[in-house]
Amino acid sequence: MASITGWIRERVPLGPEQLRELTNEPVPNHLKKWWWCLGGTPAYLFVVQIVTGILLAFYYKPSPQTAYESVRYITEEASFGWFIRGLHKWAATLMVAAVVLHQMRVYFTGAYRKPRELNWLVGMCLLLLTLIVGFTGYSLVYEQLSYWGATVGANITDSVPVVGVYMKELLLGGEVYGENTLSRFFILHAAVLPVTMAALIAVHITLIRLQGVTEFHFRDEDPKKAKFFNFFPDHLLTELSIGLVLMILLSVLATVLPAEMGPKADPLSTPEVIKPEWFFYVAFRWLKLFSGTFAVLSMGLVVFLMYAWPFIDAQIRKWNPRSEASVWIGIVGALAIIALTVWEASVAH
Amino acid sequence: MNAHTPSTPHDQPDASSDDRRGFLSKVTSLGMLAGLGASYGTAAAYAGRYLYPARPRAKAWMYVARVADLGVGASLRYTTPGGEKVAIARQAQTGGPDDFVALSSTCPHLGCQVHWESQNQRFFCPCHNGAFDKSGKGISGPPGEAGQSLPRYPLKSEDGLLYIEVPVENLDVAQAPAAAREGHDPCLGGGARDEGALA
Repeated sequence: MASITGWIRERVPLGPEQLRELTNEPVPNHLKKWWWCLGGTPAYLFVVQIVTGILLAFYYKPSPQTAYESVRYITEEASFGWFIRGLHKWAATLMVAAVVLHQMRVYFTGAYRKPRELNWLVGMCLLLLTLIVGFTGYSLVYEQLSYWGATVGANITDSVPVVGVYMKELLLGGEVYGENTLSRFFILHAAVLPVTMAALIAVHITLIRLQGVTEFHFRDEDPKKAKFFNFFPDHLLTELSIGLVLMILLSVLATVLPAEMGPKADPLSTPEVIKPEWFFYVAFRWLKLFSGTFAVLSMGLVVFLMYAWPFIDAQIRKWNPRSEASVWIGIVGALAIIALTVWEASVAH
Repeated sequence: MNAHTPSTPHDQPDASSDDRRGFLSKVTSLGMLAGLGASYGTAAAYAGRYLYPARPRAKAWMYVARVADLGVGASLRYTTPGGEKVAIARQAQTGGPDDFVALSSTCPHLGCQVHWESQNQRFFCPCHNGAFDKSGKGISGPPGEAGQSLPRYPLKSEDGLLYIEVPVENLDVAQAPAAAREGHDPCLGGGARDEGALA
């Protein structure tokens, strides 16, 4: 045994001391509470998505003639197919929720401020990619709602002035949703976007390691108590516990509320009531309220302002260091998102 | 071990030599960067061109009806070979193709299919509540606000026969449900019509 260990150590010069050194990132005490660990939650769910996604890809066939039937086969015939599809669907839902909650936590605690502006930008990219992965994944089922959701989504790009028509054709692989579309969505969903996300997650975590986790000070904290604890094993165990709870939650959701099959896509008939996934209700309602180009450009402006917020906020604080504008803007933004989502959810049209 | 040899003034690089070396080094680096940028840029442009759809959908003129068979105010519903529904109506009687209008069922807002609501005398798009009047003009919802109308298909009349220009191949040919294909009449050249569709 010692000779095997020695053989490996010669080729991989990494011992317990170095490992401890590498993983002993000091973690602020508030991260002992799970609700401060919302950054690790989407990362864990991302791994769940990769594993279940690979399993689903064994049977999924991305063409208009075969897609729906292959999803039906996974759901109704493949052993545990319904369960794996259910895990994939619910992990996607929870991942969007966790990313949004994580971003809200970062926003309202001001953790995006200097020197962490670049990590906010990376996080914004990850938020958008999470939404796009959700959109492309839902479209792959090729049922009525997902087909028309994909059609509406692709036509949204058409509303962008000048380049919109090219973006739409590039996305659809033609002028309209056709033979090339599903394979493009599949490549994006199963390869291009996850690889990009994995790279960005690596950058996100590296920047956190380099800058350290944001420290917060609480009124009720004991000044005598240590302000930090070790990442390994303490924080890792917290994250593992959260992972186990998530697996239980996912299993319950996949079993009690399994992923179902709607009617097969009919390109000639839009259903009377059409809804996207819940996380696009905001955009869907916005598109009903305003004309296409205005709605798309205004949504683009909101996304741009979200990207630029650390720099805008820095400017505001330069003028008025005690400004609480970010809190009020955040509250108004969150309420607007909730209101538009509830509005869209509560009406048929 | 090498013996130390004192340097002579001849061996020492002078300031102008340093400048020259620095300049050449910068020019060479910039040249290499430009070369890399150009070659990888060309590769990226080729990749973009490869991903961009190679050709537009093929279109063809299809026979619809005899001009004389459609009086002013009459309408019919035409189904393209791809399955898309088209409302064709006659609005005047000058004898030219401008007498007719052929409205697409694809909403100009975000591409959903509209349907005719006879009780409200309007075309309705369920995606974002867009509505169009009988002539295809947007009257409410996002298309109404943006002043959009239902897209029109080109029409022409030759020798007393009315023709429409429509796409002849797309996903719908394979995907159209049986009901939409049942009306196919070889005599109509690939399309199918259903008179009095707007009535």
